[in-house]
Amino acid sequence: MQTTNHPLPYLGYGLGLRVEYYESLLEQPGKVEWLEIVSENYMVAGGRPLVWLDRFRERFPMVMHGVSMSIGSTDPLDEDYLTRLAALARRVQPAWISDHLCWTGVQGINLHDLMPLPYTEEALAHVVDRVRRVQDVLGRRILLENVSSYIHFADAQLTEWQFLAAVAERADCLILLDINNIYVSAHNHGFSPLDYLDGIPAARVQQFHLAGHEDGGPLLIDTHDAPIIDGVWQLYRQALRRYGRVSTMIERDDHMPPLAELLAELNDARSIAEPLLQAAA
Amino acid sequence: MSLQELQQRVLQAVLAERSPFLRELRDDERADAASRLAIYRNGYRVRLRDALAIEFPGLGKLLGGRFARMLERYVDAHPSEHYNIRWHGAGIAAFLRYALPWREKPALAELAELDWAISTCFDAADEAEFDAAELASVPADAWPALRLRLQNHLQLVPTCHNIEAFRRAADGSSHRPRLRRYEQTRQLLVWRQSLTVHYRVLAADEFSALTGAIKGESFAALCERLAAFHDDAEAMPRMVGLLRQWLADGLVGGRFAD
Repeated sequence: MQTTNHPLPYLGYGLGLRVEYYESLLEQPGKVEWLEIVSENYMVAGGRPLVWLDRFRERFPMVMHGVSMSIGSTDPLDEDYLTRLAALARRVQPAWISDHLCWTGVQGINLHDLMPLPYTEEALAHVVDRVRRVQDVLGRRILLENVSSYIHFADAQLTEWQFLAAVAERADCLILLDINNIYVSAHNHGFSPLDYLDGIPAARVQQFHLAGHEDGGPLLIDTHDAPIIDGVWQLYRQALRRYGRVSTMIERDDHMPPLAELLAELNDARSIAEPLLQAAA
Repeated sequence: MSLQELQQRVLQAVLAERSPFLRELRDDERADAASRLAIYRNGYRVRLRDALAIEFPGLGKLLGGRFARMLERYVDAHPSEHYNIRWHGAGIAAFLRYALPWREKPALAELAELDWAISTCFDAADEAEFDAAELASVPADAWPALRLRLQNHLQLVPTCHNIEAFRRAADGSSHRPRLRRYEQTRQLLVWRQSLTVHYRVLAADEFSALTGAIKGESFAALCERLAAFHDDAEAMPRMVGLLRQWLADGLVGGRFAD
């Protein structure tokens, strides 16, 4: 694999860059230490999105987070998508690039959702091969994120965390651990979130996501439209104990509050993590 | 069952109008497989509908309470094929031209074209504006053969209605205007200057001259086009006036080499 294997930096506490916060974040960045962009929002020819992107890139360390790589799909890898992603990476020079351990469509149709994979040996071999090929194209290791899910497949041979860990080890990629997604999927599928944390190799964990979700009745729905709940904060503490210092960011995609509220929430993450990490040190 | 077959079955189940039984999915005591699958089925439709609503605010203003239903019908008739959800909007105008009952109201497809032109103009490739001072150095005898290179992102939207009023009302959050029909087809120009997208109605003579300029016709040929609308003495001053406006609006990207 033609990749650079420099250790990736620790970035601190960051936010997802969203249009709603463009102006307020430039005026009052508070203690936002880095930004995560949704790659597809900036895979455009020109205009306002790239102007804003460059403005923020001058001021903040940045990572790229995609939603459309569809690494688990049985359709061919989208070469056009990867070419555009690589071009954006040349512009942004991100600290790292991530996407999701999922498939988003097949037969040329896109569901615009993060569909879970069946956790089978066949799917594992398929994903590992594709991650290696993507890493060759991008010339770097990527991060894969665990998704929230609502269906489970009858023929699963592995747990989700066994599958994620095996992909990371065999393809030599890194992990973006979404703490909220673990919480949501643990509830929806009836597994222990602590078993999940225990099953993930610490050396592969490069980033945490935190977010809110919706209690949609019997199942929890990953909506990113509400504050982070106590149960997710508790799981964040457990993750910090297991993995140590990991770059952390908050995702908010709907019911956008004033920036000050998100900054306060980010400060909550810092206030939880720093004493715990210092005590552990 | 192979991974490919499984993904195809799940995809078809998400696209289906009703949640089918999939033996490959498991129930448990918390929820059955059908209601679990329904989260993806509903999510697909809601996500596309919400994304398209953002790209077609003028159409939303014209359709009012019927907008959501139209979008649902479009999404059901046309599965999304692009990784960028917004690009699913590329087919809406064509859908409104053939699908009942909307095809009976041509203003809908026209307005969809305007909304989509504005949307695609927003993040079209950046292009440099032509410096008007460069024209000052063009010798008088070179003007007839001068050919302007207009910006690639310019779009023309033909319409027989006051569709621009609906887009303006949507952008300004003002009341829904009254739909008016015109005997003659009007042409709307959509363009971007710096980072701001603009649109305006073209007079018939300007549309003709602009069409010629887009084709790369010479300045003399553009003046000839204007002569069809004006006396000989007025065609040239009108062309100069149009050129001034095109330069001020940032429509001109340069000039072709002789």
